Amino acid sequence: MADDIRALSAQLAQDPQSLVFLRLGEALRRKGQLDAALRVAMNGLERHPHLADAHDLYARILTDKRDYERAFDEWDMAVRIAPNHTGALKGLAFLYFKVGDLAQAESHLEAARKVEPDDPSIDQAITMMRGGVSPPVPEPTVASPTVASPTLGALDEARVFAGLEGANEGLLLIDGAGRVLGGALRDRAGADVTDAVAAYLAGVSQEAARTAKLLGLGAWNGLSAEGQQGNVHLAHPTPEALLLVVRERGIPLGRLAILAHRATAMARRWLERGT
Amino acid sequence: MSTALDLITRVRGVRGAMLVSADDGIVIAEQLMEGIKGGAVAALAASLAGRLRRAMEAAGTGTSVFWHLQAEQGALLVVPDGNSSVAGGGGILVVAVAEPDVNIGLVRLELLRVAETVV
Amino acid sequence: MSPQTRSVENWTLQPLTDFVREASVRLVLVLTPSGQVLAQSGFSRAVDVMSAAALAAAIVATTGELARQLQQPPFAALSHQGPKHGFFLATFTSDRGTLAVLAVYDLDVSSLGLVQLFYEQLAADLKAASPKTTVPKQVLAADFERELTDSLNTLFGR
Repeated sequence: MADDIRALSAQLAQDPQSLVFLRLGEALRRKGQLDAALRVAMNGLERHPHLADAHDLYARILTDKRDYERAFDEWDMAVRIAPNHTGALKGLAFLYFKVGDLAQAESHLEAARKVEPDDPSIDQAITMMRGGVSPPVPEPTVASPTVASPTLGALDEARVFAGLEGANEGLLLIDGAGRVLGGALRDRAGADVTDAVAAYLAGVSQEAARTAKLLGLGAWNGLSAEGQQGNVHLAHPTPEALLLVVRERGIPLGRLAILAHRATAMARRWLERGT
Repeated sequence: MSTALDLITRVRGVRGAMLVSADDGIVIAEQLMEGIKGGAVAALAASLAGRLRRAMEAAGTGTSVFWHLQAEQGALLVVPDGNSSVAGGGGILVVAVAEPDVNIGLVRLELLRVAETVV
Repeated sequence: MSPQTRSVENWTLQPLTDFVREASVRLVLVLTPSGQVLAQSGFSRAVDVMSAAALAAAIVATTGELARQLQQPPFAALSHQGPKHGFFLATFTSDRGTLAVLAVYDLDVSSLGLVQLFYEQLAADLKAASPKTTVPKQVLAADFERELTDSLNTLFGR
Protein backbone atom coordinates (compact mmCIF):
# COMPACT_ATOMS: atom_id res chain seq x y z
CA MET A 1 0.00 0.00 0.00
CA ALA A 2 2.81 2.44 0.90
CA ASP A 3 4.50 1.60 -2.39
CA ASP A 4 1.23 2.22 -4.21
CA ILE A 5 0.93 5.61 -2.59
CA ARG A 6 4.52 6.49 -3.47
CA ALA A 7 3.99 5.42 -7.08
CA LEU A 8 0.70 7.26 -7.40
CA SER A 9 2.21 10.40 -5.81
CA ALA A 10 5.05 10.27 -8.32
CA GLN A 11 2.58 9.89 -11.20
CA LEU A 12 0.55 12.82 -9.96
CA ALA A 13 3.65 14.98 -9.54
CA GLN A 14 4.62 14.16 -13.12
CA ASP A 15 1.17 14.95 -14.51
CA PRO A 16 -0.83 17.11 -12.08
CA GLN A 17 -3.74 17.36 -14.55
CA SER A 18 -4.27 13.59 -14.62
CA LEU A 19 -6.99 11.75 -12.75
CA VAL A 20 -4.45 9.78 -10.72
CA PHE A 21 -5.47 11.92 -7.75
CA LEU A 22 -8.66 9.83 -7.54
CA ARG A 23 -6.69 6.65 -6.90
CA LEU A 24 -4.16 8.40 -4.66
CA GLY A 25 -6.87 10.06 -2.57
CA GLU A 26 -8.68 6.73 -2.20
CA ALA A 27 -5.47 4.90 -1.25
CA LEU A 28 -4.71 7.51 1.42
CA ARG A 29 -8.28 7.33 2.71
CA ARG A 30 -8.12 3.56 3.03
CA LYS A 31 -4.86 3.89 4.90
CA GLY A 32 -6.50 6.30 7.33
CA GLN A 33 -4.37 9.27 6.26
CA LEU A 34 -7.45 11.42 6.04
CA ASP A 35 -5.82 14.85 6.11
CA ALA A 36 -3.48 13.92 3.29
CA ALA A 37 -6.37 12.35 1.37
CA LEU A 38 -8.38 15.53 1.87
CA ARG A 39 -5.57 17.69 0.46
CA VAL A 40 -5.24 15.44 -2.59
CA ALA A 41 -9.00 15.48 -3.19
CA MET A 42 -9.23 19.26 -2.80
CA ASN A 43 -6.34 19.84 -5.20
CA GLY A 44 -7.99 17.48 -7.67
CA LEU A 45 -11.31 19.26 -7.31
CA GLU A 46 -9.68 22.60 -8.02
CA ARG A 47 -8.42 21.22 -11.33
CA HIS A 48 -11.54 19.20 -12.13
CA PRO A 49 -14.49 21.01 -10.49
CA HIS A 50 -17.00 19.40 -12.87
CA LEU A 51 -15.87 15.84 -12.29
CA ALA A 52 -18.47 13.85 -10.37
CA ASP A 53 -15.87 11.27 -9.30
CA ALA A 54 -13.82 14.02 -7.63
CA HIS A 55 -16.82 15.15 -5.58
CA ASP A 56 -17.52 11.50 -4.74
CA LEU A 57 -13.96 10.98 -3.46
CA TYR A 58 -14.10 14.17 -1.40
CA ALA A 59 -17.45 13.11 0.10
CA ARG A 60 -16.09 9.71 1.13
CA ILE A 61 -13.16 11.30 2.92
CA LEU A 62 -15.47 13.80 4.64
CA THR A 63 -17.69 10.90 5.71
CA ASP A 64 -14.68 9.17 7.27
CA LYS A 65 -14.02 12.43 9.12
CA ARG A 66 -17.68 12.42 10.21
CA ASP A 67 -18.31 15.75 8.49
CA TYR A 68 -21.66 14.55 7.18
CA GLU A 69 -23.06 17.97 6.24
CA ARG A 70 -20.28 18.71 3.79
CA ALA A 71 -20.21 15.12 2.59
CA PHE A 72 -23.88 15.45 1.74
CA ASP A 73 -23.22 18.61 -0.25
CA GLU A 74 -20.43 16.90 -2.21
CA TRP A 75 -22.48 13.81 -3.06
CA ASP A 76 -25.39 16.07 -3.90
CA MET A 77 -23.13 17.98 -6.30
CA ALA A 78 -21.86 14.71 -7.83
CA VAL A 79 -25.46 13.65 -8.56
CA ARG A 80 -26.24 17.03 -10.08
CA ILE A 81 -23.27 16.67 -12.42
CA ALA A 82 -23.88 12.98 -13.15
CA PRO A 83 -27.40 11.88 -12.12
CA ASN A 84 -26.49 8.21 -12.62
CA HIS A 85 -23.40 8.27 -10.38
CA THR A 86 -24.05 5.19 -8.28
CA GLY A 87 -21.28 5.95 -5.77
CA ALA A 88 -22.90 9.27 -4.94
CA LEU A 89 -26.40 7.77 -4.86
CA LYS A 90 -25.20 5.12 -2.42
CA GLY A 91 -23.42 7.79 -0.39
CA LEU A 92 -26.57 9.87 -0.11
CA ALA A 93 -28.51 6.75 0.88
CA PHE A 94 -25.96 6.08 3.63
CA LEU A 95 -26.29 9.63 4.99
CA TYR A 96 -30.08 9.56 4.84
CA PHE A 97 -30.01 6.31 6.79
CA LYS A 98 -27.79 7.96 9.37
CA VAL A 99 -30.39 10.66 10.06
CA GLY A 100 -33.23 8.11 10.10
CA ASP A 101 -34.81 9.06 6.78
CA LEU A 102 -35.33 5.51 5.56
CA ALA A 103 -37.64 6.47 2.70
CA GLN A 104 -35.04 8.76 1.12
CA ALA A 105 -32.28 6.22 1.81
CA GLU A 106 -34.20 3.48 0.04
CA SER A 107 -35.20 5.72 -2.85
CA HIS A 108 -31.54 6.59 -3.49
CA LEU A 109 -30.54 2.93 -3.35
CA GLU A 110 -33.36 2.08 -5.76
CA ALA A 111 -32.10 4.80 -8.10
CA ALA A 112 -28.61 3.26 -7.90
CA ARG A 113 -30.05 -0.20 -8.59
CA LYS A 114 -31.74 1.09 -11.75
CA VAL A 115 -28.34 2.19 -13.02
CA GLU A 116 -26.48 -0.93 -11.92
CA PRO A 117 -28.97 -3.79 -11.59
CA ASP A 118 -26.14 -6.33 -11.34
CA ASP A 119 -24.35 -4.69 -8.41
CA PRO A 120 -24.90 -7.06 -5.44
CA SER A 121 -23.73 -4.43 -2.94
CA ILE A 122 -26.86 -2.37 -3.62
CA ASP A 123 -29.20 -5.28 -2.85
CA GLN A 124 -27.16 -6.02 0.26
CA ALA A 125 -27.43 -2.41 1.41
CA ILE A 126 -31.21 -2.41 0.90
CA THR A 127 -31.55 -5.66 2.85
CA MET A 128 -29.33 -4.39 5.68
CA MET A 129 -31.17 -1.12 5.84
CA ARG A 130 -34.58 -2.80 6.03
CA GLY A 131 -33.21 -4.91 8.86
CA GLY A 132 -32.23 -1.75 10.72
CA VAL A 133 -28.51 -2.20 10.08
CA SER A 134 -26.60 0.73 8.59
CA PRO A 135 -25.50 0.09 5.03
CA PRO A 136 -21.73 0.29 4.64
CA VAL A 137 -20.01 3.51 3.62
CA PRO A 138 -20.02 3.24 -0.17
CA GLU A 139 -16.85 2.12 -1.82
CA PRO A 140 -15.66 3.98 -4.87
CA THR A 141 -16.85 3.12 -8.31
CA VAL A 142 -13.71 4.75 -9.69
CA ALA A 143 -10.85 2.82 -8.14
CA SER A 144 -10.16 1.31 -11.54
CA PRO A 145 -11.84 3.75 -13.86
CA THR A 146 -10.98 1.87 -16.99
CA VAL A 147 -12.63 -1.40 -15.98
CA ALA A 148 -15.42 -2.29 -18.37
CA SER A 149 -18.99 -2.91 -17.31
CA PRO A 150 -19.40 -6.34 -15.68
CA THR A 151 -21.78 -7.52 -18.38
CA LEU A 152 -19.17 -6.79 -20.97
CA GLY A 153 -16.20 -8.00 -18.98
CA ALA A 154 -15.94 -11.16 -21.00
CA LEU A 155 -15.30 -9.23 -24.17
CA ASP A 156 -11.85 -8.19 -25.24
CA GLU A 157 -12.07 -4.43 -25.05
CA ALA A 158 -8.88 -3.98 -27.06
CA ARG A 159 -10.58 -5.57 -30.07
CA VAL A 160 -13.68 -3.42 -30.26
CA PHE A 161 -12.21 -1.17 -32.94
CA ALA A 162 -9.63 -3.65 -34.26
CA GLY A 163 -8.52 -2.70 -37.75
CA LEU A 164 -9.91 0.81 -37.57
CA GLU A 165 -7.50 3.72 -37.90
CA GLY A 166 -6.63 5.25 -34.51
CA ALA A 167 -8.25 2.40 -32.56
CA ASN A 168 -6.01 2.88 -29.53
CA GLU A 169 -5.60 6.61 -29.42
CA GLY A 170 -8.62 8.34 -30.92
CA LEU A 171 -11.67 6.14 -30.43
CA LEU A 172 -13.54 5.68 -27.20
CA LEU A 173 -16.62 3.66 -26.30
CA ILE A 174 -18.29 4.30 -22.93
CA ASP A 175 -21.50 3.32 -21.18
CA GLY A 176 -24.18 5.73 -19.95
CA ALA A 177 -22.51 6.14 -16.58
CA GLY A 178 -19.22 7.28 -18.13
CA ARG A 179 -17.37 3.96 -17.73
CA VAL A 180 -14.96 2.95 -20.45
CA LEU A 181 -16.00 -0.08 -22.52
CA GLY A 182 -13.30 0.04 -25.15
CA GLY A 183 -10.80 2.15 -27.08
CA ALA A 184 -8.52 4.82 -25.71
CA LEU A 185 -7.69 8.49 -26.14
CA ARG A 186 -4.41 10.33 -26.08
CA ASP A 187 -3.93 14.06 -26.22
CA ARG A 188 -1.46 15.81 -28.54
CA ALA A 189 1.36 15.32 -26.04
CA GLY A 190 0.67 11.57 -25.98
CA ALA A 191 -0.79 11.53 -22.46
CA ASP A 192 -3.64 9.10 -21.81
CA VAL A 193 -6.78 11.17 -21.31
CA THR A 194 -9.27 8.30 -21.61
CA ASP A 195 -10.70 8.50 -18.10
CA ALA A 196 -10.95 12.27 -17.96
CA VAL A 197 -12.83 12.47 -21.25
CA ALA A 198 -15.08 9.51 -20.40
CA ALA A 199 -16.05 11.20 -17.15
CA TYR A 200 -17.30 14.28 -19.00
CA LEU A 201 -18.97 12.57 -21.95
CA ALA A 202 -21.98 11.19 -20.10
CA GLY A 203 -22.93 14.76 -19.18
CA VAL A 204 -22.54 15.92 -22.78
CA SER A 205 -24.76 13.10 -24.00
CA GLN A 206 -27.49 13.76 -21.42
CA GLU A 207 -27.52 17.43 -22.31
CA ALA A 208 -27.58 16.69 -26.05
CA ALA A 209 -30.57 14.39 -25.57
CA ARG A 210 -32.42 16.94 -23.45
CA THR A 211 -31.67 19.77 -25.88
CA ALA A 212 -32.91 17.84 -28.91
CA LYS A 213 -36.02 16.70 -27.07
CA LEU A 214 -37.04 20.07 -25.61
CA LEU A 215 -36.40 21.93 -28.86
CA GLY A 216 -38.63 19.49 -30.71
CA LEU A 217 -35.76 18.18 -32.86
CA GLY A 218 -36.49 14.51 -32.08
CA ALA A 219 -33.79 12.07 -31.03
CA TRP A 220 -30.20 13.24 -31.50
CA ASN A 221 -27.93 11.07 -33.61
CA GLY A 222 -24.62 12.89 -33.63
CA LEU A 223 -22.63 15.79 -32.25
CA SER A 224 -19.66 17.09 -34.22
CA ALA A 225 -17.28 19.74 -32.94
CA GLU A 226 -14.34 21.49 -34.48
CA GLY A 227 -11.71 22.41 -31.87
CA GLN A 228 -8.71 24.69 -32.03
CA GLN A 229 -6.38 21.68 -32.01
CA GLY A 230 -8.61 18.79 -33.01
CA ASN A 231 -12.04 17.66 -34.13
CA VAL A 232 -14.46 15.32 -32.38
CA HIS A 233 -17.62 13.41 -33.25
CA LEU A 234 -19.93 11.88 -30.65
CA ALA A 235 -22.52 9.23 -31.54
CA HIS A 236 -24.48 6.58 -29.70
CA PRO A 237 -24.29 3.08 -31.19
CA THR A 238 -26.97 1.89 -28.73
CA PRO A 239 -29.20 3.91 -26.40
CA GLU A 240 -26.89 3.09 -23.48
CA ALA A 241 -23.50 3.51 -25.14
CA LEU A 242 -21.56 6.48 -26.47
CA LEU A 243 -18.84 6.55 -29.04
CA LEU A 244 -16.31 9.36 -29.39
CA VAL A 245 -13.98 9.81 -32.32
CA VAL A 246 -11.16 12.33 -31.96
CA ARG A 247 -8.86 13.38 -34.79
CA GLU A 248 -6.43 16.16 -35.57
CA ARG A 249 -7.77 19.46 -36.89
CA GLY A 250 -6.81 18.61 -40.47
CA ILE A 251 -9.44 15.86 -40.71
CA PRO A 252 -12.66 17.59 -41.81
CA LEU A 253 -15.85 17.05 -39.81
CA GLY A 254 -17.52 15.30 -42.76
CA ARG A 255 -14.78 12.68 -42.94
CA LEU A 256 -14.90 12.32 -39.18
CA ALA A 257 -18.63 11.61 -39.40
CA ILE A 258 -17.97 8.82 -41.93
CA LEU A 259 -15.29 7.33 -39.69
CA ALA A 260 -17.67 7.59 -36.73
CA HIS A 261 -20.35 5.83 -38.76
CA ARG A 262 -18.01 2.86 -39.40
CA ALA A 263 -16.86 2.79 -35.79
CA THR A 264 -20.50 2.94 -34.64
CA ALA A 265 -21.35 -0.15 -36.69
CA MET A 266 -18.34 -2.01 -35.25
CA ALA A 267 -19.18 -0.96 -31.71
CA ARG A 268 -22.80 -2.02 -32.15
CA ARG A 269 -21.74 -5.48 -33.34
CA TRP A 270 -19.26 -5.76 -30.47
CA LEU A 271 -21.87 -4.73 -27.92
CA GLU A 272 -24.42 -7.18 -29.33
CA ARG A 273 -21.90 -10.00 -28.96
CA GLY A 274 -21.61 -9.17 -25.25
CA THR A 275 -25.31 -9.32 -24.45
CA MET B 1 -27.30 42.86 -34.87
CA SER B 2 -30.44 41.75 -36.66
CA THR B 3 -28.74 42.56 -39.98
CA ALA B 4 -25.91 40.28 -38.94
CA LEU B 5 -28.38 37.52 -38.11
CA ASP B 6 -29.93 38.00 -41.57
CA LEU B 7 -26.76 36.49 -43.01
CA ILE B 8 -27.64 33.25 -41.29
CA THR B 9 -31.42 33.15 -41.66
CA ARG B 10 -31.27 33.73 -45.40
CA VAL B 11 -29.60 30.31 -45.81
CA ARG B 12 -32.22 27.84 -46.99
CA GLY B 13 -33.33 25.49 -44.23
CA VAL B 14 -32.38 27.80 -41.35
CA ARG B 15 -35.35 28.38 -39.05
CA GLY B 16 -33.76 30.87 -36.74
CA ALA B 17 -30.56 32.54 -35.61
CA MET B 18 -29.57 34.00 -32.27
CA LEU B 19 -26.83 35.59 -30.24
CA VAL B 20 -26.68 34.04 -26.79
CA SER B 21 -24.75 34.90 -23.64
CA ALA B 22 -22.53 31.85 -23.10
CA ASP B 23 -22.36 32.18 -19.31
CA ASP B 24 -26.00 33.01 -18.60
CA GLY B 25 -27.74 31.14 -21.40
CA ILE B 26 -29.97 34.10 -22.16
CA VAL B 27 -30.90 35.71 -25.47
CA ILE B 28 -28.96 38.77 -26.68
CA ALA B 29 -30.57 39.02 -30.12
CA GLU B 30 -32.79 36.71 -32.11
CA GLN B 31 -34.44 36.26 -35.45
CA LEU B 32 -36.67 33.21 -35.28
CA MET B 33 -39.46 31.61 -37.21
CA GLU B 34 -42.72 31.21 -35.36
CA GLY B 35 -42.82 28.28 -32.99
CA ILE B 36 -39.15 28.37 -31.99
CA LYS B 37 -38.70 29.22 -28.32
CA GLY B 38 -35.73 31.56 -28.15
CA GLY B 39 -35.30 31.28 -24.39
CA ALA B 40 -35.18 27.50 -24.52
CA VAL B 41 -32.71 27.45 -27.41
CA ALA B 42 -30.45 29.93 -25.60
CA ALA B 43 -30.50 28.13 -22.25
CA LEU B 44 -29.98 24.66 -23.67
CA ALA B 45 -27.37 25.64 -26.27
CA ALA B 46 -25.30 27.42 -23.60
CA SER B 47 -25.56 24.49 -21.23
CA LEU B 48 -24.52 22.00 -23.90
CA ALA B 49 -21.71 24.33 -25.01
CA GLY B 50 -20.36 24.42 -21.44
CA ARG B 51 -20.37 20.65 -21.09
CA LEU B 52 -18.81 20.15 -24.50
CA ARG B 53 -16.08 22.68 -23.70
CA ARG B 54 -15.05 20.70 -20.61
CA ALA B 55 -14.97 17.40 -22.51
CA MET B 56 -12.95 18.90 -25.36
CA GLU B 57 -10.48 20.51 -22.97
CA ALA B 58 -10.03 17.11 -21.31
CA ALA B 59 -9.49 15.52 -24.73
CA GLY B 60 -6.79 18.08 -25.55
CA THR B 61 -8.52 19.35 -28.68
CA GLY B 62 -8.80 22.89 -27.36
CA THR B 63 -12.09 24.70 -27.14
CA SER B 64 -14.57 24.41 -29.95
CA VAL B 65 -14.76 26.92 -32.78
CA PHE B 66 -17.89 25.30 -34.24
CA TRP B 67 -20.22 22.52 -33.17
CA HIS B 68 -23.26 20.90 -34.61
CA LEU B 69 -25.93 18.74 -32.94
CA GLN B 70 -27.68 16.56 -35.51
CA ALA B 71 -31.13 15.23 -34.64
CA GLU B 72 -33.87 13.38 -36.51
CA GLN B 73 -36.00 16.47 -37.13
CA GLY B 74 -33.52 19.29 -37.05
CA ALA B 75 -30.11 20.55 -36.15
CA LEU B 76 -28.51 23.05 -33.81
CA LEU B 77 -25.35 24.76 -35.07
CA VAL B 78 -23.18 26.93 -32.85
CA VAL B 79 -20.07 29.09 -33.13
CA PRO B 80 -18.70 30.25 -29.76
CA ASP B 81 -16.68 33.47 -29.83
CA GLY B 82 -13.17 33.56 -28.35
CA ASN B 83 -14.34 34.62 -24.89
CA SER B 84 -16.57 31.56 -24.60
CA SER B 85 -13.52 29.36 -24.11
CA VAL B 86 -13.38 30.47 -20.46
CA ALA B 87 -16.23 29.94 -17.99
CA GLY B 88 -17.31 33.38 -16.79
CA GLY B 89 -15.45 35.02 -19.67
CA GLY B 90 -18.54 36.84 -20.91
CA GLY B 91 -18.52 35.08 -24.26
CA ILE B 92 -21.19 35.00 -26.94
CA LEU B 93 -22.57 32.04 -28.88
CA VAL B 94 -23.85 32.50 -32.41
CA VAL B 95 -26.60 29.90 -32.79
CA ALA B 96 -28.68 28.60 -35.70
CA VAL B 97 -31.65 26.23 -35.59
CA ALA B 98 -32.10 24.43 -38.89
CA GLU B 99 -33.85 21.70 -40.81
CA PRO B 100 -32.06 18.32 -40.74
CA ASP B 101 -31.01 18.55 -44.40
CA VAL B 102 -29.57 22.09 -44.24
CA ASN B 103 -26.26 22.85 -45.93
CA ILE B 104 -24.08 22.66 -42.82
CA GLY B 105 -20.98 24.03 -44.52
CA LEU B 106 -22.79 27.16 -45.61
CA VAL B 107 -24.40 27.79 -42.23
CA ARG B 108 -21.00 27.27 -40.57
CA LEU B 109 -19.44 29.94 -42.79
CA GLU B 110 -22.20 32.43 -42.02
CA LEU B 111 -22.03 31.71 -38.29
CA LEU B 112 -18.27 32.31 -38.32
CA ARG B 113 -18.75 35.51 -40.28
CA VAL B 114 -21.36 36.79 -37.82
CA ALA B 115 -19.12 35.85 -34.88
CA GLU B 116 -16.38 38.04 -36.38
CA THR B 117 -18.82 40.91 -36.94
CA VAL B 118 -20.44 41.05 -33.53
CA VAL B 119 -17.45 40.50 -31.26
CA MET C 1 -27.66 17.51 6.25
CA SER C 2 -30.14 18.49 3.62
CA PRO C 3 -33.42 16.74 3.07
CA GLN C 4 -34.00 16.68 -0.69
CA THR C 5 -37.38 18.20 -1.45
CA ARG C 6 -40.18 18.56 1.10
CA SER C 7 -43.53 20.27 1.00
CA VAL C 8 -46.10 21.49 3.47
CA GLU C 9 -48.77 21.44 0.76
CA ASN C 10 -48.47 18.22 -1.21
CA TRP C 11 -49.57 19.60 -4.58
CA THR C 12 -46.31 21.56 -4.77
CA LEU C 13 -44.05 18.52 -4.39
CA GLN C 14 -43.97 17.02 -7.91
CA PRO C 15 -43.57 20.33 -9.77
CA LEU C 16 -40.80 21.35 -7.39
CA THR C 17 -39.02 18.00 -7.66
CA ASP C 18 -39.08 18.28 -11.47
CA PHE C 19 -37.77 21.84 -11.33
CA VAL C 20 -34.87 20.90 -9.05
CA ARG C 21 -33.87 18.03 -11.35
CA GLU C 22 -34.15 19.91 -14.63
CA ALA C 23 -32.69 23.26 -13.60
CA SER C 24 -30.01 21.70 -11.33
CA VAL C 25 -30.67 24.28 -8.65
CA ARG C 26 -29.18 23.92 -5.20
CA LEU C 27 -31.81 25.56 -3.00
CA VAL C 28 -35.44 26.42 -3.66
CA LEU C 29 -38.28 27.88 -1.64
CA VAL C 30 -41.89 28.17 -2.74
CA LEU C 31 -43.57 30.72 -0.50
CA THR C 32 -46.38 33.20 -0.20
CA PRO C 33 -45.60 36.94 -0.25
CA SER C 34 -46.10 36.96 3.52
CA GLY C 35 -43.23 34.50 3.94
CA GLN C 36 -45.20 31.30 4.57
CA VAL C 37 -43.21 28.42 3.07
CA LEU C 38 -45.14 25.84 1.04
CA ALA C 39 -42.15 23.74 -0.04
CA GLN C 40 -38.38 23.69 0.09
CA SER C 41 -35.50 21.85 -1.47
CA GLY C 42 -31.87 21.61 -0.38
CA PHE C 43 -32.00 23.54 2.88
CA SER C 44 -30.20 21.92 5.78
CA ARG C 45 -31.47 23.89 8.75
CA ALA C 46 -34.86 25.28 9.77
CA VAL C 47 -33.28 28.60 10.66
CA ASP C 48 -31.96 28.98 7.09
CA VAL C 49 -35.44 28.41 5.68
CA MET C 50 -36.92 30.94 8.05
CA SER C 51 -34.40 33.67 7.25
CA ALA C 52 -34.43 32.99 3.48
CA ALA C 53 -38.24 33.09 3.46
CA ALA C 54 -38.33 36.33 5.46
CA LEU C 55 -35.72 37.96 3.20
CA ALA C 56 -37.43 36.77 0.01
CA ALA C 57 -40.79 38.06 1.24
CA ALA C 58 -39.16 41.39 2.07
CA ILE C 59 -37.64 41.63 -1.43
CA VAL C 60 -41.01 40.81 -3.02
CA ALA C 61 -42.66 43.52 -0.91
CA THR C 62 -39.92 46.08 -1.64
CA THR C 63 -39.83 45.57 -5.40
CA GLY C 64 -43.64 45.46 -5.48
CA GLU C 65 -43.76 48.84 -3.77
CA LEU C 66 -41.07 50.26 -6.10
CA ALA C 67 -43.10 49.11 -9.08
CA ARG C 68 -46.23 50.63 -7.59
CA GLN C 69 -44.47 53.98 -7.11
CA LEU C 70 -43.30 53.82 -10.73
CA GLN C 71 -46.91 53.10 -11.66
CA GLN C 72 -46.17 49.84 -13.38
CA PRO C 73 -47.10 46.19 -12.76
CA PRO C 74 -44.96 44.28 -10.24
CA PHE C 75 -41.57 43.13 -11.54
CA ALA C 76 -41.80 39.60 -12.86
CA ALA C 77 -38.40 38.36 -11.71
CA LEU C 78 -35.20 39.39 -10.04
CA SER C 79 -31.77 37.87 -10.56
CA HIS C 80 -28.41 38.39 -8.88
CA GLN C 81 -25.17 36.67 -9.72
CA GLY C 82 -21.99 36.34 -7.70
CA PRO C 83 -18.75 34.65 -8.70
CA LYS C 84 -19.98 31.14 -7.83
CA HIS C 85 -23.71 31.27 -7.18
CA GLY C 86 -26.72 33.04 -8.60
CA PHE C 87 -30.14 33.57 -7.17
CA PHE C 88 -33.46 34.04 -8.88
CA LEU C 89 -36.67 35.30 -7.33
CA ALA C 90 -39.96 35.51 -9.19
CA THR C 91 -43.68 35.66 -8.44
CA PHE C 92 -46.75 34.39 -10.23
CA THR C 93 -50.42 34.19 -9.46
CA SER C 94 -52.24 30.92 -8.94
CA ASP C 95 -55.53 29.79 -7.47
CA ARG C 96 -53.64 29.60 -4.18
CA GLY C 97 -52.93 33.35 -4.49
CA THR C 98 -49.63 34.99 -5.41
CA LEU C 99 -46.69 32.68 -4.91
CA ALA C 100 -42.96 33.42 -4.96
CA VAL C 101 -40.14 31.09 -5.93
CA LEU C 102 -36.61 31.66 -4.68
CA ALA C 103 -33.93 29.53 -6.37
CA VAL C 104 -30.19 29.46 -5.69
CA TYR C 105 -27.94 27.79 -8.26
CA ASP C 106 -24.23 27.06 -8.76
CA LEU C 107 -22.85 28.71 -11.86
CA ASP C 108 -20.76 25.57 -12.46
CA VAL C 109 -23.79 23.38 -13.05
CA SER C 110 -26.62 25.70 -14.05
CA SER C 111 -27.28 29.15 -15.50
CA LEU C 112 -29.81 31.94 -15.35
CA GLY C 113 -31.19 30.80 -18.70
CA LEU C 114 -31.80 27.24 -17.49
CA VAL C 115 -33.38 28.46 -14.25
CA GLN C 116 -35.66 30.88 -16.14
CA LEU C 117 -36.60 28.19 -18.66
CA PHE C 118 -37.60 25.62 -16.09
CA TYR C 119 -39.11 28.23 -13.75
CA GLU C 120 -41.70 28.90 -16.47
CA GLN C 121 -42.57 25.21 -16.41
CA LEU C 122 -42.64 25.20 -12.60
CA ALA C 123 -45.00 28.18 -12.50
CA ALA C 124 -47.28 26.54 -15.10
CA ASP C 125 -47.26 23.21 -13.21
CA LEU C 126 -47.96 24.88 -9.88
CA LYS C 127 -50.79 26.92 -11.40
CA ALA C 128 -52.31 23.77 -12.81
CA ALA C 129 -51.98 21.87 -9.54
CA SER C 130 -52.95 24.58 -7.08
CA PRO C 131 -56.20 24.15 -5.18
CA LYS C 132 -58.88 26.84 -5.43
CA THR C 133 -58.38 29.46 -2.74
CA THR C 134 -60.55 29.12 0.29
CA VAL C 135 -61.36 32.19 2.38
CA PRO C 136 -58.08 32.93 4.20
CA LYS C 137 -58.47 32.07 7.82
CA GLN C 138 -57.56 34.51 10.51
CA VAL C 139 -54.21 33.58 12.02
CA LEU C 140 -54.24 34.24 15.72
CA ALA C 141 -50.99 34.93 17.53
CA ALA C 142 -51.56 31.81 19.60
CA ASP C 143 -51.86 29.67 16.46
CA PHE C 144 -48.93 31.25 14.66
CA GLU C 145 -46.12 29.58 16.54
CA ARG C 146 -47.79 26.19 16.42
CA GLU C 147 -48.42 26.48 12.67
CA LEU C 148 -44.84 27.59 12.08
CA THR C 149 -43.49 24.68 14.10
CA ASP C 150 -45.76 22.24 12.24
CA SER C 151 -44.62 23.62 8.88
CA LEU C 152 -40.94 23.40 9.77
CA ASN C 153 -41.38 19.87 11.06
CA THR C 154 -42.97 18.88 7.77
CA LEU C 155 -40.30 20.65 5.73
CA PHE C 156 -37.55 18.78 7.55
CA GLY C 157 -39.28 15.43 7.82
CA ARG C 158 -39.41 15.37 11.60
